[in-house]
Amino acid sequence: MDLADFDREAVLASFLAESEEGLDLMERVLVQMESSPSDPELVHNIFRVAHSIKGNATSLQLSELAGVAHVVEDLLDVFREQHTLPSPDLISLLLKAVDELRAMVSTASTGNQELTPGQQNLRREIAHEVKKRSERAVNANGSAGDSGSAAKADTLPGPGHRTLRADVEKLDHMLDLTGEIVIAQGRLRRLIQKLGTEQGRAMLEMHREAERLYMDLQSEVMSIRMVPVGPLFRQLVRSVRDLARSHGKMARLEVVGGDVEVDTTVLEQLKDPLLHLVRNAVDHGLEKPEVRERQGKNPCGVIRLTAAHSGGNIIVTLQDDGAGFDRERILDKARRVGLVSAKDEIREQDIYDLVFQAGFSTAEAVTDLSGRGVGLDVVRRNIDTLRGTVEISSTAGKGSTITIRLPLTLAIIEGFLVRVGAETFVVPLEHVTECTELPAEQRCSEASGILSLRGTALPYVRLRHAFSLSGEAPKRENIVVVKINERYAGIAVDELLGGMQTVVKPLGRAFRAVPGIAGSTVLGDGRVGLIIDVPSLLRGVMQSSSQAQA
Amino acid sequence: MGAPNQGKNQLPLSTVQYLTFLTAGEEYAIGIGKVKEIIEYEAVTTVPNTPIWIRGVTNLRGRVVPVVDLAVKFGLPASRISKFSCVIITEVMFQGEELTMGVLADSVCQVIELSADEIEATPAFGTRVKTEYLLGMGALGKKFCLILDIDKVLSTDELLAVTESVADEGSVHAPAVDLGADAPAKQKAAHFEAGA
Repeated sequence: MDLADFDREAVLASFLAESEEGLDLMERVLVQMESSPSDPELVHNIFRVAHSIKGNATSLQLSELAGVAHVVEDLLDVFREQHTLPSPDLISLLLKAVDELRAMVSTASTGNQELTPGQQNLRREIAHEVKKRSERAVNANGSAGDSGSAAKADTLPGPGHRTLRADVEKLDHMLDLTGEIVIAQGRLRRLIQKLGTEQGRAMLEMHREAERLYMDLQSEVMSIRMVPVGPLFRQLVRSVRDLARSHGKMARLEVVGGDVEVDTTVLEQLKDPLLHLVRNAVDHGLEKPEVRERQGKNPCGVIRLTAAHSGGNIIVTLQDDGAGFDRERILDKARRVGLVSAKDEIREQDIYDLVFQAGFSTAEAVTDLSGRGVGLDVVRRNIDTLRGTVEISSTAGKGSTITIRLPLTLAIIEGFLVRVGAETFVVPLEHVTECTELPAEQRCSEASGILSLRGTALPYVRLRHAFSLSGEAPKRENIVVVKINERYAGIAVDELLGGMQTVVKPLGRAFRAVPGIAGSTVLGDGRVGLIIDVPSLLRGVMQSSSQAQA
Repeated sequence: MGAPNQGKNQLPLSTVQYLTFLTAGEEYAIGIGKVKEIIEYEAVTTVPNTPIWIRGVTNLRGRVVPVVDLAVKFGLPASRISKFSCVIITEVMFQGEELTMGVLADSVCQVIELSADEIEATPAFGTRVKTEYLLGMGALGKKFCLILDIDKVLSTDELLAVTESVADEGSVHAPAVDLGADAPAKQKAAHFEAGA
């Protein structure tokens, strides 16, 4: 019965992966049971999960883990037999069991482990529930419920198509390599073009062929990295449920577009901001059930999380039907902490922008959820790092909508190359709307200025100043016009060099959050070029300009 | 590894190899275990809003590696680039992880072997380098070379502190009134982040 060590390793690895998936499913189904308590089939699905975890744990000699899985299985079996669904309290208990199982599974590789007192309690509590219920069943039916339905449950649904688990690090490396090939090919093409001979032309033809094949390979590599947003969104379903319960509110999260795909790195980094926004919606947005009823709303608040594609972007919207953002309170608070002065006229959009400022929070009491004044500014920073934007729109009494726009992938962007002095910078093309020469009569040597573009005022920032680069500005300067959050601004540079597919590389751990810089890339000549973080570069100038206009 | 234990409970004859190089006229040494390779100095891109002793970043076969000018770090004028200039690629420990960083050198000199008893403790004063950056001094004939604790020299704790303060200034921007009122809020935020 003893498994050789290496066999055990392999079995353990697949046990970990399988159990994780199973527990995710269990969690999802439990939450679903609560909102649509009409489908007894649901119990069958998760019974199977508990059963297979128990079986696998036993064969790996993880008897404590198997024990907990066993009582969970028993409890679910009771509901299965009685064709009923667990009450909300029991669902909470089962969800707690899911959490504990998850914790035990993740530490399973270290061998069989003692149960913590909390886990022992949980196990006893569940066992107690089982006993209570099955006794009732015995009394009602006169026969004991048979818990041995193992044979059926052993057959897990077979995979529809063949899949393979791969380490994300390997995918990252593959992507790095494809990026390197782009650069190497660019340099090779330039060399061949220089040749100019008959042979050179033939080589160029071959090279084009290779480039086409390469493009196909690259898009395949990119597509492997794309994962659906559904699993992340569904985790939040559980969070919303738990949060609402602990705050005496009723809320349910609806997920739309769960099969929309996005790069795995983007998804990973979207997790924290989304959790934050969802918490914020439950804590600040949704009203207590009695308040909602008084206003003629359904006592159970609805938060709708939607994902959709739009061009090269994914758009995630979080919509709630709560009270909406309180404009007056935001303004009041902003004036008190000095973010705006009393006289300033503020545009609707700008008011909501204030909540993303560091240190801003309107919550009167500090709860465990929010009100600490850290939060939405972190959300904004996270989304900036993903080169995305976030916007709020809100109607008092009706609810609010938060729209997050993110690029589908972080790895490769269409870049627009510009030169300042000896340095080449990359402006992400998605921000660029047009380029224009800075008219001589509007030139000044200031760090920033305002330019008249077809009659409208366009604030611009001079890159040379913003980045303290050496050298004098040339006689003719150019302006790259960019658009952020429906507003336009300009970046003054020495020369426009044109577009290029750019492989984004992080600047590395040595640098953290360099203002104005989003990352780096290797240029065609092998030098490192810096990618400009347009939102952070322009945030200052945008704000002062909107105040100037008002 | 590579770092001498300053003599305590150490076999007297154990020797360690060091790479020596010139920066601002002084010969320094790094334990050879820390050195990955030496590359020519070419095409270093300046990164704005970073400390001046970060010369920039360079492309090491597709990896973006920061390059540090030790002369500036030690409070001297920036190194001049000559045909002998090179970048010593080192692996330093940072928050428990290995980080690849380049050290700009005016020229690379030699590889020497020093046993523990050939290394003298750093005097409390008289060196132009902060003593906390040094592991000791090795004798080179009549001269000495300063043995650098490269993990400490390139400790990016300092670097992070600098970039963060720049970031804060950058994000405080437009409304000039908020400086006073914003400060406690920022402290608070820092407090909670530390507590989390």
